[in-house]
Parts: sequence; structure tokens; C-alpha cells
Amino acid sequence: MYVNDKNSNSDLTARIIPCLDVAYGRVVKGTNFKQLIDMGDPVELAKMYEQQGADELVFLDIKASVDGQQSALDMVYQVATHLSIPFAVGGGIKTLDDVHKFFHAGADKVTLNTMAVEKPELINQISKQYGSQSIVVAVDVNLEADGELAIYTHGGSKRVPIAYQQWIDEVVDRGTGEILLTAMHKDGTGSGFDTDLLAQFGADFPVQVIASGGAKGPQDFLDAIHAGADAVLAAGLFHRGEYTVGQIKAFLINNNIKIRNT
Amino acid sequence: MSTNLNTSLNAPVNAGSNATRVGVIDLNSGNLLSMQTAIKAAGCELSTVQKPSPALLKDIDVLVMPGQGRFAYVMAQIEASGWREFLLEWCRNGKRLVGVCVGMQVLFEGSDEDPEAVGLGLFPGRCQKLAHPKTPMVGWAQLDSYKLSLKDQFAYFVNSFAVTECPFATAKVTYGQTFCASVQRGNLYGFQFHPEKSGAFGKELIQYVCQ
Repeated sequence: MYVNDKNSNSDLTARIIPCLDVAYGRVVKGTNFKQLIDMGDPVELAKMYEQQGADELVFLDIKASVDGQQSALDMVYQVATHLSIPFAVGGGIKTLDDVHKFFHAGADKVTLNTMAVEKPELINQISKQYGSQSIVVAVDVNLEADGELAIYTHGGSKRVPIAYQQWIDEVVDRGTGEILLTAMHKDGTGSGFDTDLLAQFGADFPVQVIASGGAKGPQDFLDAIHAGADAVLAAGLFHRGEYTVGQIKAFLINNNIKIRNT
Repeated sequence: MSTNLNTSLNAPVNAGSNATRVGVIDLNSGNLLSMQTAIKAAGCELSTVQKPSPALLKDIDVLVMPGQGRFAYVMAQIEASGWREFLLEWCRNGKRLVGVCVGMQVLFEGSDEDPEAVGLGLFPGRCQKLAHPKTPMVGWAQLDSYKLSLKDQFAYFVNSFAVTECPFATAKVTYGQTFCASVQRGNLYGFQFHPEKSGAFGKELIQYVCQ
């Protein structure tokens, strides 16, 4: 669907999405809660990625449940008033009232992970009240040693007894607009996205799928889009400065993928 | 105030007492923060208006009408606050009105989303559901336009419905089928995409239509 083709019925471009982990209103590195490294100001980093050509940003507040929401809401407001591309926010969202606060502060979308599993009716409620385009369900999946695909919550620390395929079908049925699919067995390995998982999606799947976990270089982005991803999310490779968003996009454009050129 | 979109988007920003007075219509339909921020960044004097009043005709130069959610909901908000008659009068006076997303759709006669709801009818035509397996359309698409200010620019879309045929189309995009990404009839503008979320291009477009 994203390969250039005169007969295509879609002008939509594949999106490249840098993901920023935040805590206490600052961008931090890693999820080791005891030793957070300060990476800088969310607004400054967001603007840098916008200038590089990012199509969208995702902010995950990894400490939201610990320090309350005010710093996250302040950050969302600051980002919304300085950024002119869309962004999603996740972390610590528990109720429809929390969701309202994030939208009121200027977020375009919210991302749910743990609460989507623990209170799945929240997906229906958000979809009904704000529209399916406003909700992204983050599905953390791990390929277990026995070959089974298992669903995890709580930042990948807790396995829950839900079958992978059943969960995918359920979040779509409940009205999510997008699925952020993180292959935990690929995350941080630099061995590329899980293209076998992505192959079940593609142009006919009813919602967009954002591939996450495993990116090492431009070829991995291309493989994910060819396999069936609508968008690709990455963190480390951008934050470490190994590639700019612009470099990834230039590679994809050279490989005949529909990409927003800035 | 120019009505020609082909004029350079890089015209100087108005400032001080000469600043264009832009009113954003608050229909209680989605967040206005990005639009308000973009209008202020364009150097305009921003007001947010909940209800129409005759004073607006002399106090406001440009009205911007964002809209999110269902067609019938946005139309109901327009009717409840008395905007319908006011907006028709506004346009009869040749004043500038800019509709964005569902705010553009309600400028038309109606929508298949809510067939019973009657649009403002300022443009001929109706909205149809996009014939694509993945709806809503969410993301960036390149505009097919004859206007230099829009041609080949990438715009951010969030919509399930769109107007497929309109003689006043200024840009088109394909998603399932080809639809009108923007329309213009004199001082009446409609953008199906979100200029306030469309990066540097969107900023320039807002700066242009608000001057």
C-alpha cells in the first residue's frame, strides 16, 4: 500500500515516529527506574525531530503512575504549543477523565497498554467519545521459548493470560484506531522488526499498525513497511544519533516508498 | 487582504494595530489549542468566539471554524448557537470564512454520515464515506493541486468522510477514491486536512489565509 504505484488507490504515506521516554517532565534514557539518565527538554527534542522530518511523535511517561500526572500534563501543553505535527501520549492513563485531561492539554492521541488489558471497556469509551483516531493500543508481545506469542503489560514486566490473536481482534473490535505492536523479543536486539508478525496486517487490515522493536538501520524500516506496517516507531537509533529521521526517510524514498518529504 | 492563494506565502506578518483579527469559532468540538497557537504564531490578533453577534462583522476580519466528531454533532452545535444565519450573512458580506476538517464538511449540503442533518449549503455537494478498508484515514498525503501554494505539499488528514466532487476544489487526494482536500470560492475556504498539524506547510497556509 505504501509502494509507489500509478494504480494505487491511496496517497497515504508511511509514517516514521520517534518515541521519547519521559519522567518528571524530562526526556530520559532507558527504563531502569533507579538510574534514569536525563536526555533533555521534551520541547527541544520534539522540535528537533519535527525539523528532521518526523511525521508524528510518541511520548511515553514511564514514571507517570509514581509522580502523578501534573508534570506530564504540563509537558503535553508545552509540546502542543510548540509543535506543528501530531503527537500521542501514554503512561499512567487509568480513566476517561485522565484521557480528557491529556486531550485538553493538547495531545492528539493517547496510548494505552496496561489499562487496555485491565479495563478494556476504556477502549470503547475513548473511541466513542473522541473517535477511533484518538486512541492507540500498545500491544507488547513476546515470542516465548516454547514458540507461543504472549501478551505483556506493565512496561513488559508482567505476562497476562490472553492469547495474542484474540487480543488483536478484540482491540480492533473495541474501536482502537491504531495498534502499536512491540515485539519484545526483538526490542533492543538490533535484529530488525518482526516481519512475520507484521505480515498478518497490510492494506486490508482495518486499522493501522505501527511496528516497534528491533530497528538497527534503514533496511529494517523498509522491511517492516514491505511486510505490512503502516508506520514505524523507533527510539534508541534516533536518540543515539546513529541516524536522523531524514536519513531513514531518504533511504525509503530511494526505495520507492511513499514518504512525506520535508 | 488578498483573495488569491497564488500570492506568496512569505508576505510579511501583520503586527500591532494592523494585525488581522481572527476569530476561532468554538463549537465545543475538539481541542482548539493547536489552531489558536498557529493563528497567534501567524501574528494575528486571536479571539475565540462561542456565539455569533452583529459586532463580529466589524470586530473580526477572518472566522476560522474547526470541527471534529460527527457531522450531525457539529451541525447541531452550529444551529444551537445561532451560527447558521450569522455565517450566511457573513458570507453575503464577502467576509472570509475558513472551515477545517468537519468544519469544511458542514459548508456543504450534507453528509452520508448523518443524512438527516442539513449542512450550510455554501458549497454544492455532499460528503461520502471513504471507500478504503482502513478508516479513518489518518496520516500524511501529498496534495494534487494547480495552486502553487498547495501543489505537492504534504498535509495531515484525519477523516472517514469527504466530498468527492466539487467544482470549487483547489486540491485533491486519493484514499479509496479521489476526494477534495481543499475548496475555495472567493473568500470562503475549506480544508479537509489539518493545517495546524501539517508542519511548516500548514503554518504558512494559516498565515496566508489569516491575512
